[in-house]
Amino acid sequence: MELNTTSNGNIQIISVKGSLDALTAPELADALATQLREGHTQLVADLAELEYTSSAGLRVLLNSVKEARNHDGDLRLAAVQPNVEKVLKLSGFMSIMKSFESVDAAVASFAG
Amino acid sequence: MFRALRLKQEPVKVAPEPKPLTIDEWMGDAQFPLGIRTINALPHDAKQRFYRTLIPPALLGRLGINPILWRGSGHAVELFAEPASGKVNLSINNVQDPNDAYFVLELQDNATNGIDLNLIILNDPDAEKFGIDFDAEGKATHWGTITRNLAEEERAMRAGLAPAQVRAGMGFARQVLQQLDVFLALCARQAVSLEPLTYASAWIFEKNGFAYVRGHKLMDDIQREFQPGGTLHAALDGSTPFRQPDAWQTVRGRAWAIQDGILEVIGERWRDLRMIKVVGKHAGVETFPNAKY
Amino acid sequence: MPDNFILTRAAELDALGAFREFIARVCERLQIPNEISFELQLACDEAATNVIRHGYAGMNPGSIMLELRPQRKKIEMVLSDFGHPFEPVETDAPDVNAMLQDQPTTGFGLYFIYRTMDDVQYYSDEQGNHLVLVKELSSK
Repeated sequence: MELNTTSNGNIQIISVKGSLDALTAPELADALATQLREGHTQLVADLAELEYTSSAGLRVLLNSVKEARNHDGDLRLAAVQPNVEKVLKLSGFMSIMKSFESVDAAVASFAG
Repeated sequence: MFRALRLKQEPVKVAPEPKPLTIDEWMGDAQFPLGIRTINALPHDAKQRFYRTLIPPALLGRLGINPILWRGSGHAVELFAEPASGKVNLSINNVQDPNDAYFVLELQDNATNGIDLNLIILNDPDAEKFGIDFDAEGKATHWGTITRNLAEEERAMRAGLAPAQVRAGMGFARQVLQQLDVFLALCARQAVSLEPLTYASAWIFEKNGFAYVRGHKLMDDIQREFQPGGTLHAALDGSTPFRQPDAWQTVRGRAWAIQDGILEVIGERWRDLRMIKVVGKHAGVETFPNAKY
Repeated sequence: MPDNFILTRAAELDALGAFREFIARVCERLQIPNEISFELQLACDEAATNVIRHGYAGMNPGSIMLELRPQRKKIEMVLSDFGHPFEPVETDAPDVNAMLQDQPTTGFGLYFIYRTMDDVQYYSDEQGNHLVLVKELSSK
Protein backbone atom coordinates (compact mmCIF):
# COMPACT_ATOMS: atom_id res chain seq x y z
CA MET A 1 0.00 0.00 0.00
CA GLU A 2 1.15 3.55 -0.79
CA LEU A 3 -0.11 6.74 0.80
CA ASN A 4 0.17 10.23 -0.59
CA THR A 5 -1.18 13.35 1.10
CA THR A 6 -1.96 16.62 -0.69
CA SER A 7 -4.06 19.58 0.34
CA ASN A 8 -6.69 21.76 -1.28
CA GLY A 9 -7.27 24.75 0.96
CA ASN A 10 -8.19 23.39 4.38
CA ILE A 11 -8.97 20.00 3.02
CA GLN A 12 -6.43 17.21 3.22
CA ILE A 13 -6.58 14.57 0.53
CA ILE A 14 -5.08 11.19 1.37
CA SER A 15 -4.64 8.97 -1.65
CA VAL A 16 -4.53 5.25 -0.89
CA LYS A 17 -3.02 2.93 -3.47
CA GLY A 18 -2.93 -0.87 -3.38
CA SER A 19 -4.52 -3.06 -0.70
CA LEU A 20 -5.76 -2.39 2.80
CA ASP A 21 -5.54 -5.36 5.14
CA ALA A 22 -4.46 -6.08 8.71
CA LEU A 23 -0.82 -5.58 7.68
CA THR A 24 -1.22 -2.25 5.91
CA ALA A 25 -4.22 -0.68 7.71
CA PRO A 26 -2.16 0.61 10.70
CA GLU A 27 -0.18 2.81 8.30
CA LEU A 28 -3.35 4.48 7.06
CA ALA A 29 -4.59 4.78 10.64
CA ASP A 30 -1.38 6.61 11.54
CA ALA A 31 -1.65 8.96 8.55
CA LEU A 32 -5.27 9.85 9.33
CA ALA A 33 -4.56 10.24 13.06
CA THR A 34 -1.67 12.59 12.25
CA GLN A 35 -3.97 14.80 10.15
CA LEU A 36 -6.56 14.91 12.92
CA ARG A 37 -3.93 15.61 15.56
CA GLU A 38 -2.67 18.54 13.51
CA GLY A 39 -6.14 19.97 13.44
CA HIS A 40 -7.10 18.93 9.90
CA THR A 41 -10.63 17.66 10.31
CA GLN A 42 -11.83 17.95 6.71
CA LEU A 43 -10.43 14.86 5.07
CA VAL A 44 -10.90 13.18 1.72
CA ALA A 45 -9.76 9.59 1.14
CA ASP A 46 -8.97 9.27 -2.55
CA LEU A 47 -9.63 5.59 -3.22
CA ALA A 48 -9.23 5.65 -7.01
CA GLU A 49 -6.26 3.29 -6.74
CA LEU A 50 -7.38 1.25 -3.74
CA GLU A 51 -8.07 -2.20 -5.16
CA TYR A 52 -8.93 -4.08 -2.01
CA THR A 53 -9.91 -3.65 1.60
CA SER A 54 -10.71 -6.11 4.35
CA SER A 55 -12.49 -5.33 7.61
CA ALA A 56 -9.18 -4.05 8.97
CA GLY A 57 -9.33 -1.17 6.48
CA LEU A 58 -13.00 -0.47 7.27
CA ARG A 59 -12.22 -0.19 10.94
CA VAL A 60 -9.60 2.48 10.23
CA LEU A 61 -12.02 4.48 8.06
CA LEU A 62 -14.75 4.18 10.68
CA ASN A 63 -12.49 5.35 13.51
CA SER A 64 -11.36 8.34 11.48
CA VAL A 65 -14.91 9.32 10.49
CA LYS A 66 -15.86 9.14 14.14
CA GLU A 67 -12.88 11.22 15.23
CA ALA A 68 -13.30 13.82 12.46
CA ARG A 69 -17.02 14.24 13.19
CA ASN A 70 -16.29 14.63 16.90
CA HIS A 71 -14.28 17.68 15.85
CA ASP A 72 -16.98 19.02 13.51
CA GLY A 73 -15.21 17.72 10.44
CA ASP A 74 -15.63 14.60 8.30
CA LEU A 75 -13.80 11.98 6.33
CA ARG A 76 -15.34 11.61 2.88
CA LEU A 77 -14.60 9.01 0.26
CA ALA A 78 -13.79 9.65 -3.37
CA ALA A 79 -13.65 7.43 -6.46
CA VAL A 80 -14.42 4.15 -4.66
CA GLN A 81 -13.66 1.16 -6.90
CA PRO A 82 -16.12 -1.74 -7.33
CA ASN A 83 -14.43 -4.29 -5.02
CA VAL A 84 -14.02 -1.78 -2.22
CA GLU A 85 -17.54 -0.51 -2.75
CA LYS A 86 -18.81 -4.04 -2.35
CA VAL A 87 -17.15 -4.35 1.06
CA LEU A 88 -18.44 -0.93 2.10
CA LYS A 89 -21.97 -1.93 1.10
CA LEU A 90 -21.75 -5.33 2.76
CA SER A 91 -20.81 -3.67 6.03
CA GLY A 92 -23.45 -0.95 5.90
CA PHE A 93 -20.77 1.74 5.69
CA MET A 94 -22.41 3.44 2.72
CA SER A 95 -25.24 4.51 5.02
CA ILE A 96 -22.94 6.46 7.30
CA MET A 97 -20.15 7.64 5.01
CA LYS A 98 -20.36 10.23 2.30
CA SER A 99 -18.94 8.95 -0.95
CA PHE A 100 -18.31 10.90 -4.16
CA GLU A 101 -17.49 10.08 -7.75
CA SER A 102 -14.29 12.10 -7.75
CA VAL A 103 -11.84 13.87 -5.47
CA ASP A 104 -13.04 17.22 -6.84
CA ALA A 105 -16.64 16.42 -5.94
CA ALA A 106 -15.62 15.28 -2.45
CA VAL A 107 -13.58 18.46 -1.93
CA ALA A 108 -16.42 20.63 -3.23
CA SER A 109 -18.85 18.93 -0.81
CA PHE A 110 -17.06 20.54 2.15
CA ALA A 111 -17.83 24.01 0.76
CA GLY A 112 -21.55 23.46 1.03
CA MET B 1 -11.05 -8.78 14.86
CA PHE B 2 -13.47 -11.64 15.56
CA ARG B 3 -15.60 -10.98 18.60
CA ALA B 4 -17.72 -14.11 18.61
CA LEU B 5 -15.33 -16.99 18.75
CA ARG B 6 -15.79 -20.20 20.59
CA LEU B 7 -12.50 -21.49 21.90
CA LYS B 8 -12.22 -25.23 21.93
CA GLN B 9 -10.08 -26.13 24.91
CA GLU B 10 -10.00 -29.86 24.46
CA PRO B 11 -8.29 -31.44 21.49
CA VAL B 12 -10.67 -33.61 19.52
CA LYS B 13 -9.99 -37.26 20.26
CA VAL B 14 -9.02 -38.99 17.09
CA ALA B 15 -7.75 -42.30 18.33
CA PRO B 16 -9.36 -44.60 20.83
CA GLU B 17 -7.71 -45.64 24.07
CA PRO B 18 -5.10 -48.21 23.14
CA LYS B 19 -6.14 -51.77 23.74
CA PRO B 20 -5.42 -55.12 22.15
CA LEU B 21 -7.49 -55.68 19.04
CA THR B 22 -9.08 -58.89 17.94
CA ILE B 23 -8.84 -59.92 14.33
CA ASP B 24 -12.57 -59.23 14.03
CA GLU B 25 -12.03 -55.65 15.11
CA TRP B 26 -9.27 -55.37 12.54
CA MET B 27 -11.46 -56.58 9.80
CA GLY B 28 -14.50 -54.72 11.02
CA ASP B 29 -13.42 -51.13 10.42
CA ALA B 30 -10.71 -50.05 7.99
CA GLN B 31 -11.00 -46.46 9.22
CA PHE B 32 -10.24 -47.44 12.81
CA PRO B 33 -7.15 -45.34 13.74
CA LEU B 34 -4.37 -47.43 15.19
CA GLY B 35 -1.75 -46.13 17.58
CA ILE B 36 1.73 -47.53 18.12
CA ARG B 37 0.63 -48.92 21.50
CA THR B 38 -2.15 -50.84 19.79
CA ILE B 39 0.21 -52.35 17.24
CA ASN B 40 2.76 -53.15 19.93
CA ALA B 41 0.11 -55.19 21.72
CA LEU B 42 -0.08 -57.56 18.73
CA PRO B 43 1.84 -60.84 18.59
CA HIS B 44 5.45 -60.39 17.47
CA ASP B 45 4.99 -61.59 13.92
CA ALA B 46 1.88 -59.53 13.35
CA LYS B 47 3.59 -56.34 14.42
CA GLN B 48 6.67 -57.17 12.38
CA ARG B 49 4.44 -57.31 9.31
CA PHE B 50 3.18 -53.85 10.18
CA TYR B 51 6.51 -52.28 10.90
CA ARG B 52 8.10 -53.83 7.82
CA THR B 53 6.38 -51.13 5.78
CA LEU B 54 8.56 -48.50 7.47
CA ILE B 55 11.80 -49.51 5.75
CA PRO B 56 12.06 -48.96 1.98
CA PRO B 57 12.93 -52.31 0.37
CA ALA B 58 15.45 -50.48 -1.81
CA LEU B 59 17.31 -49.37 1.32
CA LEU B 60 17.50 -52.97 2.52
CA GLY B 61 18.64 -54.02 -0.94
CA ARG B 62 21.37 -51.40 -0.90
CA LEU B 63 22.67 -52.85 2.38
CA GLY B 64 22.32 -56.45 1.22
CA ILE B 65 19.61 -57.23 3.76
CA ASN B 66 16.86 -59.71 3.00
CA PRO B 67 13.63 -57.66 3.25
CA ILE B 68 11.68 -60.55 4.77
CA LEU B 69 14.28 -62.10 7.06
CA TRP B 70 15.75 -58.70 8.03
CA ARG B 71 19.30 -60.08 7.99
CA GLY B 72 22.24 -60.23 5.61
CA SER B 73 25.69 -58.88 4.69
CA GLY B 74 26.68 -58.37 8.31
CA HIS B 75 23.68 -56.15 9.02
CA ALA B 76 20.54 -56.84 10.99
CA VAL B 77 17.26 -55.05 11.46
CA GLU B 78 16.28 -54.70 15.12
CA LEU B 79 12.74 -54.04 16.21
CA PHE B 80 11.93 -52.70 19.66
CA ALA B 81 8.18 -52.60 20.08
CA GLU B 82 7.40 -53.66 23.62
CA PRO B 83 3.82 -54.53 24.52
CA ALA B 84 2.30 -51.73 26.64
CA SER B 85 4.76 -49.24 25.15
CA GLY B 86 3.62 -46.46 22.83
CA LYS B 87 6.99 -46.38 21.14
CA VAL B 88 8.56 -48.34 18.30
CA ASN B 89 12.21 -48.22 17.39
CA LEU B 90 13.50 -49.80 14.20
CA SER B 91 17.18 -49.87 13.48
CA ILE B 92 19.70 -51.38 11.10
CA ASN B 93 22.90 -52.20 12.92
CA ASN B 94 26.28 -53.58 12.22
CA VAL B 95 26.14 -57.13 13.60
CA GLN B 96 29.73 -56.73 14.88
CA ASP B 97 28.99 -53.44 16.65
CA PRO B 98 25.34 -53.10 17.71
CA ASN B 99 25.98 -49.48 18.77
CA ASP B 100 26.82 -48.57 15.20
CA ALA B 101 23.40 -47.97 13.68
CA TYR B 102 23.05 -46.94 10.04
CA PHE B 103 19.34 -46.53 10.13
CA VAL B 104 17.14 -45.60 13.07
CA LEU B 105 13.47 -44.74 12.96
CA GLU B 106 11.52 -44.14 16.14
CA LEU B 107 7.79 -43.43 16.29
CA GLN B 108 5.73 -42.72 19.37
CA ASP B 109 2.10 -42.04 20.25
CA ASN B 110 1.92 -38.46 21.48
CA ALA B 111 -0.21 -36.79 24.14
CA THR B 112 -2.68 -35.34 21.64
CA ASN B 113 -3.57 -38.66 20.00
CA GLY B 114 -1.16 -38.13 17.15
CA ILE B 115 2.05 -39.92 16.20
CA ASP B 116 5.49 -38.35 16.59
CA LEU B 117 8.55 -39.17 14.57
CA ASN B 118 11.11 -39.04 17.40
CA LEU B 119 14.17 -39.94 15.44
CA ILE B 120 15.32 -40.66 11.94
CA ILE B 121 18.93 -41.50 11.16
CA LEU B 122 20.20 -42.54 7.76
CA ASN B 123 23.93 -43.07 7.66
CA ASP B 124 26.02 -44.40 4.83
CA PRO B 125 27.86 -47.39 6.41
CA ASP B 126 30.74 -46.92 3.97
CA ALA B 127 31.28 -43.28 4.96
CA GLU B 128 33.76 -42.09 7.55
CA LYS B 129 32.44 -41.90 11.10
CA PHE B 130 32.81 -38.69 13.10
CA GLY B 131 32.79 -38.67 16.88
CA ILE B 132 30.35 -35.79 17.31
CA ASP B 133 28.11 -37.98 19.49
CA PHE B 134 30.61 -38.29 22.37
CA ASP B 135 32.61 -35.54 24.04
CA ALA B 136 36.31 -35.66 24.95
CA GLU B 137 35.47 -37.46 28.23
CA GLY B 138 33.43 -40.05 26.40
CA LYS B 139 30.04 -38.76 27.50
CA ALA B 140 27.15 -38.76 25.07
CA THR B 141 26.49 -35.34 23.50
CA HIS B 142 23.07 -36.33 22.16
CA TRP B 143 24.22 -35.39 18.66
CA GLY B 144 25.66 -32.13 19.91
CA THR B 145 22.44 -30.87 21.43
CA ILE B 146 23.47 -31.16 25.11
CA THR B 147 27.25 -30.79 24.91
CA ARG B 148 29.52 -30.56 21.91
CA ASN B 149 32.69 -32.20 20.66
CA LEU B 150 34.02 -29.14 18.86
CA ALA B 151 37.03 -30.79 17.23
CA GLU B 152 34.91 -33.59 15.73
CA GLU B 153 32.14 -31.19 14.72
CA GLU B 154 34.67 -29.07 12.85
CA ARG B 155 36.02 -32.15 11.09
CA ALA B 156 32.49 -33.25 10.21
CA MET B 157 31.64 -29.78 8.90
CA ARG B 158 34.73 -29.72 6.71
CA ALA B 159 33.82 -33.15 5.37
CA GLY B 160 30.45 -31.72 4.22
CA LEU B 161 28.21 -33.13 6.93
CA ALA B 162 25.39 -31.26 8.64
CA PRO B 163 25.19 -30.85 12.42
CA ALA B 164 24.09 -34.00 14.30
CA GLN B 165 25.31 -36.27 11.47
CA VAL B 166 27.73 -38.98 12.53
CA ARG B 167 28.26 -40.11 8.96
CA ALA B 168 27.34 -38.80 5.54
CA GLY B 169 23.74 -39.61 4.70
CA MET B 170 22.56 -42.47 2.57
CA GLY B 171 20.21 -40.34 0.46
CA PHE B 172 17.12 -42.34 1.36
CA ALA B 173 15.28 -39.68 3.34
CA ARG B 174 12.61 -39.17 0.70
CA GLN B 175 11.90 -42.89 0.36
CA VAL B 176 11.77 -43.41 4.12
CA LEU B 177 9.32 -40.53 4.50
CA GLN B 178 7.21 -41.92 1.67
CA GLN B 179 7.15 -45.29 3.42
CA LEU B 180 6.09 -43.47 6.57
CA ASP B 181 3.09 -42.09 4.69
CA VAL B 182 2.22 -45.64 3.64
CA PHE B 183 2.56 -46.87 7.22
CA LEU B 184 0.36 -44.06 8.54
CA ALA B 185 -2.30 -44.73 5.92
CA LEU B 186 -2.16 -48.43 6.87
CA CYS B 187 -2.86 -47.34 10.46
CA ALA B 188 -5.67 -45.04 9.29
CA ARG B 189 -3.70 -42.09 10.63
CA GLN B 190 -3.60 -38.77 8.87
CA ALA B 191 -0.51 -37.00 10.12
CA VAL B 192 2.87 -37.31 11.77
CA SER B 193 4.66 -34.67 13.83
CA LEU B 194 8.27 -34.13 14.77
CA GLU B 195 10.73 -31.71 16.30
CA PRO B 196 13.55 -30.98 13.85
CA LEU B 197 16.92 -31.45 15.51
CA THR B 198 18.75 -28.96 13.30
CA TYR B 199 18.13 -26.25 10.72
CA ALA B 200 19.30 -28.67 8.03
CA SER B 201 16.80 -31.33 9.09
CA ALA B 202 13.96 -28.77 9.17
CA TRP B 203 14.88 -27.82 5.62
CA ILE B 204 14.84 -31.48 4.52
CA PHE B 205 11.43 -32.02 6.15
CA GLU B 206 10.13 -28.90 4.37
CA LYS B 207 11.29 -30.38 1.07
CA ASN B 208 9.35 -33.51 1.95
CA GLY B 209 6.06 -31.75 2.51
CA PHE B 210 6.07 -30.84 6.21
CA ALA B 211 4.55 -27.61 7.56
CA TYR B 212 5.19 -25.98 10.93
CA VAL B 213 3.13 -26.37 14.08
CA ARG B 214 5.56 -23.95 15.74
CA GLY B 215 8.54 -22.03 14.40
CA HIS B 216 7.55 -21.13 10.84
CA LYS B 217 8.10 -17.49 11.75
CA LEU B 218 11.52 -18.36 13.21
CA MET B 219 12.50 -19.99 9.91
CA ASP B 220 11.37 -16.84 8.04
CA ASP B 221 13.33 -14.69 10.49
CA ILE B 222 16.41 -16.84 9.93
CA GLN B 223 16.08 -16.48 6.16
CA ARG B 224 15.64 -12.71 6.38
CA GLU B 225 18.45 -12.10 8.88
CA PHE B 226 20.96 -14.23 6.95
CA GLN B 227 20.59 -11.94 3.93
CA PRO B 228 23.30 -9.28 3.42
CA GLY B 229 22.49 -6.44 5.79
CA GLY B 230 20.77 -8.79 8.26
CA THR B 231 21.77 -9.37 11.87
CA LEU B 232 22.73 -13.03 11.40
CA HIS B 233 24.69 -12.17 8.26
CA ALA B 234 26.69 -9.63 10.26
CA ALA B 235 27.35 -12.20 12.99
CA LEU B 236 29.12 -14.48 10.47
CA ASP B 237 32.38 -12.86 11.51
CA GLY B 238 34.74 -15.83 11.51
CA SER B 239 34.92 -15.70 15.33
CA THR B 240 34.55 -19.50 15.39
CA PRO B 241 35.10 -22.06 12.63
CA PHE B 242 31.30 -22.45 12.44
CA ARG B 243 30.67 -18.77 11.65
CA GLN B 244 32.45 -18.31 8.33
CA PRO B 245 31.33 -15.28 6.28
CA ASP B 246 29.94 -17.38 3.41
CA ALA B 247 27.96 -19.75 5.67
CA TRP B 248 24.66 -17.94 4.98
CA GLN B 249 24.65 -19.17 1.37
CA THR B 250 23.98 -22.83 2.13
CA VAL B 251 21.65 -24.86 4.31
CA ARG B 252 24.60 -26.65 5.93
CA GLY B 253 26.51 -23.41 6.51
CA ARG B 254 23.53 -21.86 8.26
CA ALA B 255 22.89 -25.06 10.20
CA TRP B 256 26.42 -25.11 11.62
CA ALA B 257 26.24 -21.42 12.58
CA ILE B 258 22.92 -22.13 14.30
CA GLN B 259 24.40 -25.21 16.00
CA ASP B 260 27.09 -22.79 17.21
CA GLY B 261 24.43 -20.63 18.87
CA ILE B 262 24.36 -17.75 16.37
CA LEU B 263 20.60 -17.25 16.88
CA GLU B 264 21.46 -15.50 20.16
CA VAL B 265 22.07 -12.32 18.19
CA ILE B 266 18.39 -12.22 17.25
CA GLY B 267 17.33 -13.23 20.77
CA GLU B 268 16.43 -16.78 19.75
CA ARG B 269 17.57 -20.34 20.17
CA TRP B 270 17.02 -23.44 18.09
CA ARG B 271 14.22 -24.87 20.20
CA ASP B 272 10.49 -25.52 20.32
CA LEU B 273 10.14 -25.99 16.58
CA ARG B 274 7.54 -28.53 15.63
CA MET B 275 6.61 -29.79 12.20
CA ILE B 276 3.71 -31.79 10.82
CA LYS B 277 3.15 -33.81 7.67
CA VAL B 278 -0.33 -34.59 6.53
CA VAL B 279 -0.50 -37.96 4.81
CA GLY B 280 -0.66 -37.55 1.06
CA LYS B 281 -0.22 -33.80 1.17
CA HIS B 282 2.82 -31.67 0.39
CA ALA B 283 2.58 -28.32 2.19
CA GLY B 284 5.04 -26.67 -0.20
CA VAL B 285 6.86 -24.72 2.51
CA GLU B 286 10.09 -23.13 1.30
CA THR B 287 11.64 -20.85 3.91
CA PHE B 288 14.98 -20.80 2.05
CA PRO B 289 13.97 -20.41 -1.60
CA ASN B 290 16.33 -21.85 -4.21
CA ALA B 291 18.52 -23.15 -1.42
CA LYS B 292 21.86 -24.81 -1.96
CA TYR B 293 22.33 -27.65 0.52
CA MET C 1 -9.26 -35.50 -10.97
CA PRO C 2 -8.92 -31.76 -10.47
CA ASP C 3 -5.68 -30.19 -9.31
CA ASN C 4 -5.24 -29.25 -5.69
CA PHE C 5 -3.69 -25.89 -5.07
CA ILE C 6 -1.84 -25.39 -1.78
CA LEU C 7 0.06 -22.42 -0.40
CA THR C 8 1.61 -22.57 3.07
CA ARG C 9 2.95 -19.50 4.85
CA ALA C 10 4.03 -18.58 8.37
CA ALA C 11 1.13 -17.13 10.36
CA GLU C 12 2.32 -13.56 9.97
CA LEU C 13 0.45 -10.60 8.54
CA ASP C 14 2.53 -10.48 5.37
CA ALA C 15 0.99 -13.83 4.43
CA LEU C 16 -2.33 -12.06 3.75
CA GLY C 17 -1.16 -10.48 0.51
CA ALA C 18 0.43 -13.75 -0.61
CA PHE C 19 -2.82 -15.66 0.00
CA ARG C 20 -4.90 -13.11 -1.94
CA GLU C 21 -2.48 -13.16 -4.83
CA PHE C 22 -2.52 -16.96 -4.85
CA ILE C 23 -6.33 -17.09 -4.90
CA ALA C 24 -6.40 -14.52 -7.71
CA ARG C 25 -3.91 -16.56 -9.74
CA VAL C 26 -5.70 -19.87 -9.23
CA CYS C 27 -9.09 -18.34 -10.05
CA GLU C 28 -7.67 -16.80 -13.20
CA ARG C 29 -6.26 -20.15 -14.25
CA LEU C 30 -9.59 -21.86 -13.58
CA GLN C 31 -11.52 -19.06 -15.28
CA ILE C 32 -13.48 -18.35 -12.14
CA PRO C 33 -15.19 -14.92 -12.35
CA ASN C 34 -13.46 -11.97 -10.67
CA GLU C 35 -16.39 -11.42 -8.37
CA ILE C 36 -16.04 -14.88 -6.86
CA SER C 37 -12.28 -14.56 -6.73
CA PHE C 38 -12.70 -11.36 -4.76
CA GLU C 39 -15.11 -12.95 -2.29
CA LEU C 40 -12.75 -15.87 -1.75
CA GLN C 41 -9.92 -13.41 -1.12
CA LEU C 42 -11.97 -11.45 1.39
CA ALA C 43 -13.14 -14.54 3.29
CA CYS C 44 -9.62 -15.99 3.34
CA ASP C 45 -8.20 -12.67 4.48
CA GLU C 46 -10.63 -12.36 7.39
CA ALA C 47 -10.13 -15.95 8.51
CA ALA C 48 -6.35 -15.87 8.16
CA THR C 49 -6.13 -12.54 10.00
CA ASN C 50 -7.89 -14.19 12.91
CA VAL C 51 -5.50 -17.14 12.98
CA ILE C 52 -2.53 -14.78 12.75
CA ARG C 53 -3.79 -12.58 15.58
CA HIS C 54 -5.01 -15.25 17.98
CA GLY C 55 -4.31 -18.79 16.80
CA TYR C 56 -0.64 -18.95 17.71
CA ALA C 57 -0.72 -16.80 20.84
CA GLY C 58 2.11 -17.67 23.22
CA MET C 59 4.33 -19.54 20.75
CA ASN C 60 6.53 -18.91 17.76
CA PRO C 61 3.91 -18.95 15.00
CA GLY C 62 3.56 -22.03 12.85
CA SER C 63 2.04 -22.34 9.40
CA ILE C 64 -1.24 -21.47 7.78
CA MET C 65 -2.06 -23.73 4.88
CA LEU C 66 -4.45 -22.48 2.22
CA GLU C 67 -5.86 -25.09 -0.07
CA LEU C 68 -8.19 -24.51 -3.00
CA ARG C 69 -10.14 -27.50 -4.22
CA PRO C 70 -12.05 -26.76 -7.39
CA GLN C 71 -15.02 -29.04 -7.98
CA ARG C 72 -17.57 -29.19 -10.75
CA LYS C 73 -19.95 -26.50 -9.56
CA LYS C 74 -18.22 -25.08 -6.54
CA ILE C 75 -14.85 -24.30 -5.10
CA GLU C 76 -13.80 -25.39 -1.65
CA MET C 77 -11.28 -23.27 0.22
CA VAL C 78 -9.67 -24.81 3.28
CA LEU C 79 -7.58 -22.86 5.75
CA SER C 80 -5.64 -25.08 8.11
CA ASP C 81 -3.47 -24.14 11.06
CA PHE C 82 -1.89 -25.95 13.98
CA GLY C 83 -2.41 -23.43 16.76
CA HIS C 84 -5.20 -22.96 19.29
CA PRO C 85 -8.53 -24.06 17.87
CA PHE C 86 -11.10 -21.28 17.50
CA GLU C 87 -14.49 -21.98 16.09
CA PRO C 88 -15.82 -19.04 14.09
CA VAL C 89 -19.48 -18.74 15.03
CA GLU C 90 -21.96 -16.99 12.77
CA THR C 91 -22.78 -13.47 13.95
CA ASP C 92 -25.45 -10.87 13.24
CA ALA C 93 -24.67 -7.96 10.98
CA PRO C 94 -22.43 -5.50 12.81
CA ASP C 95 -24.18 -2.22 13.63
CA VAL C 96 -22.12 0.58 12.10
CA ASN C 97 -24.16 3.29 13.81
CA ALA C 98 -23.42 1.70 17.17
CA MET C 99 -19.74 1.66 16.23
CA LEU C 100 -19.87 5.37 15.42
CA GLN C 101 -21.14 5.95 18.93
CA ASP C 102 -18.56 3.67 20.54
CA GLN C 103 -21.19 1.13 21.48
CA PRO C 104 -20.12 -2.49 21.48
CA THR C 105 -21.16 -4.58 18.50
CA THR C 106 -19.77 -7.58 16.66
CA GLY C 107 -16.85 -7.30 14.25
CA PHE C 108 -17.00 -7.53 10.47
CA GLY C 109 -14.60 -10.39 9.94
CA LEU C 110 -16.91 -13.32 10.64
CA TYR C 111 -19.87 -11.52 9.17
CA PHE C 112 -18.01 -11.12 5.86
CA ILE C 113 -17.10 -14.80 5.82
CA TYR C 114 -20.70 -15.89 6.34
CA ARG C 115 -22.07 -13.29 3.90
CA THR C 116 -19.69 -14.13 1.06
CA MET C 117 -19.48 -17.93 1.37
CA ASP C 118 -22.21 -20.51 0.75
CA ASP C 119 -21.10 -22.88 3.47
CA VAL C 120 -18.80 -22.57 6.49
CA GLN C 121 -17.56 -25.58 8.46
CA TYR C 122 -14.95 -25.85 11.18
CA TYR C 123 -13.27 -28.84 12.74
CA SER C 124 -10.08 -29.84 14.56
CA ASP C 125 -8.30 -33.17 14.23
CA GLU C 126 -4.81 -34.62 14.32
CA GLN C 127 -4.00 -32.64 11.17
CA GLY C 128 -4.79 -29.30 12.82
CA ASN C 129 -7.71 -26.88 12.75
CA HIS C 130 -9.61 -26.51 9.52
CA LEU C 131 -11.98 -23.87 8.27
CA VAL C 132 -13.76 -25.20 5.20
CA LEU C 133 -15.39 -22.50 3.08
CA VAL C 134 -17.49 -23.39 0.07
CA LYS C 135 -18.41 -21.05 -2.76
CA GLU C 136 -20.89 -22.09 -5.44
CA LEU C 137 -19.69 -21.33 -8.95
CA SER C 138 -23.05 -21.33 -10.68
CA SER C 139 -24.58 -17.89 -11.19
CA LYS C 140 -27.09 -16.92 -8.55
